[in-house]
Amino acid sequence: MTEETQEEEAPLFKRWNVWYMLVIGFLILLILFFYFLTKKFS
Amino acid sequence: MSRPDWIVLVLTLLGIIAYGLYKGRTSRDLDGYFLANRMVPWYMVLLGIMGTQASAVTFLSAPGQAYTDGMRFVQYYFGLPLAMVVLCITFVPAFHRLKIYTAYEFLEQRFDLKTRTLTSFLFLLQRGLSTGISISAPSIILSSLLGWDIVWTNVFMGGLLIIYTMTGGAKAVAYTQQLQLIIIFGGMFVAGYMVIHRLPEGVGIVEALHIGGKAGKLNIITTGVSSKGFDWNDRYNLFSGIIGGFFLALSYFGTDQSQVGRYLTARSVSESRLGLLMNGLVKVPMQFLILLLGVLVFTFYQFHKEPVFFNQSQIDLLASSKYKDSLVVLEKAYDATEAARIHSLGSPGLPALEKQKAAYRATVKRWLKDIGADDNDTNYIFLRFVVDYLPKGLVGLLIAVIFLAAWGSIAATLNSLASCTIVDFHKRYSRPASKEKEYRLSRMYTLFWGVFCVAVAQLAYNLGNSLIEAVNVLGSLFYGVILGIFLVAFYRKRVGGTAIFISAIIVEAGVIFLNILSRKGIVPLSFLWFNVVGAIGVMLLSEVIQFIKSRLASQGDS
Repeated sequence: MTEETQEEEAPLFKRWNVWYMLVIGFLILLILFFYFLTKKFS
Repeated sequence: MSRPDWIVLVLTLLGIIAYGLYKGRTSRDLDGYFLANRMVPWYMVLLGIMGTQASAVTFLSAPGQAYTDGMRFVQYYFGLPLAMVVLCITFVPAFHRLKIYTAYEFLEQRFDLKTRTLTSFLFLLQRGLSTGISISAPSIILSSLLGWDIVWTNVFMGGLLIIYTMTGGAKAVAYTQQLQLIIIFGGMFVAGYMVIHRLPEGVGIVEALHIGGKAGKLNIITTGVSSKGFDWNDRYNLFSGIIGGFFLALSYFGTDQSQVGRYLTARSVSESRLGLLMNGLVKVPMQFLILLLGVLVFTFYQFHKEPVFFNQSQIDLLASSKYKDSLVVLEKAYDATEAARIHSLGSPGLPALEKQKAAYRATVKRWLKDIGADDNDTNYIFLRFVVDYLPKGLVGLLIAVIFLAAWGSIAATLNSLASCTIVDFHKRYSRPASKEKEYRLSRMYTLFWGVFCVAVAQLAYNLGNSLIEAVNVLGSLFYGVILGIFLVAFYRKRVGGTAIFISAIIVEAGVIFLNILSRKGIVPLSFLWFNVVGAIGVMLLSEVIQFIKSRLASQGDS
């Protein structure tokens, strides 16, 4: 990571890594939800 | 269209132009014109990114895609959130630190001038042509459906936005995209409500999902794996979406100036990151909802007569061809089948009637193909529903939505085409000029690219589907290689300019050859995988060339 990214604090969570995990976690949840919809309505 | 529709349409479009002119006042230099003085907040970066990616065809084609092929198209976007994370970690801080205007400027600082010039040229070539198609595709649909003159439709679709884009630059683009997306989402929400409202009593959204699911439209997650193994030619499945979609999104958002130019306008690295990460959060649900609209329209047509072909202008062509008598007979039989099908809903005779109906539609498509007409009506499904079934005023609003979606995407692209022309070519290869002159030249280049794209749109109409298909393929041929160049720039510090330049040319030739093999059916590979092949190919080959070059140099020294 560059110096600049270490200087700039992330909003809400203080660390950007938490934001990244949030985005990836939400994608996994969405895929699981879509899988559920596929199974339920097909 | 009725008078209220025209009033809504004209007022909306004029309102956007006036808003763009009002909000677009900025400093008369390149920083103001191309980067809005780097003062844009994260939520406007988000709307700018979304407005640039979502073209008119997104809103026309996606519901039709779900109607015909089901919702599996949503998997195409699964790699996007992952790409947003990588961009935030690597690309965004580097671009901000160097205070660049275009993504390709970075390549000169990392490699050399020839690599920068090559990638910027590839961008101008591919984006200039594809923007023409972005104008042409919705124009052809609107002119076919509403009987408008194609030349004027092209001019309004691609020409009016030049007024505020040329005057206000990136700031006007950012502010108008914000308002455009609010109107677009509002219009699509109202359309969704109207579809549900028009379903028969007792049929709500859950019942609609059951009906769509029974017809195979809720195929949201597919693996592409069958008893024969993985189908590499299958365009939309979980794996091609995550892997191929990741590479495509990374190259589009990280190396395409039309997108890079949006988040370079942000106040800081944090604001750019927030805009991109929010895009990663909202893009997949947004596409899901647009596709869901297609399933709802499909359910609607289970209870109402479906046209034998959604593009009426092609049926009119058929009516004046050698098939005119056969068409009259077929339409009568089709109408009778449709009436019987709607009457027999839920009865044992339904499957036979649906089979009969599908056979009639297949016959019409065969005839259309035979006379050289367009036999694909997917892009017409949603708009045909809008025109036939939505109340006065709302039709105008939905047509305005199509225009605004096109404008948002095209305006950002014109701004980026002009920025690359002046920063990567004019400024780099000619004598220094004053800030005022650079500003005036930038406006002229915006105008030039606007006129160029409208001309390409008209050419695309004259040449038919061949140019559209060629340009669509063009993007996927170049994106992977350009991404490979950027990935080497960020992650492989020892690779130099000559190694990357040679490897980019060799891999590009390889990808083009692969595309020829794929089109001939010799290599079964969907276009999404070209991005993976291009990016990884450049990374590996540049390492090999650099290694050989270093060995030769060390041998020469000794």
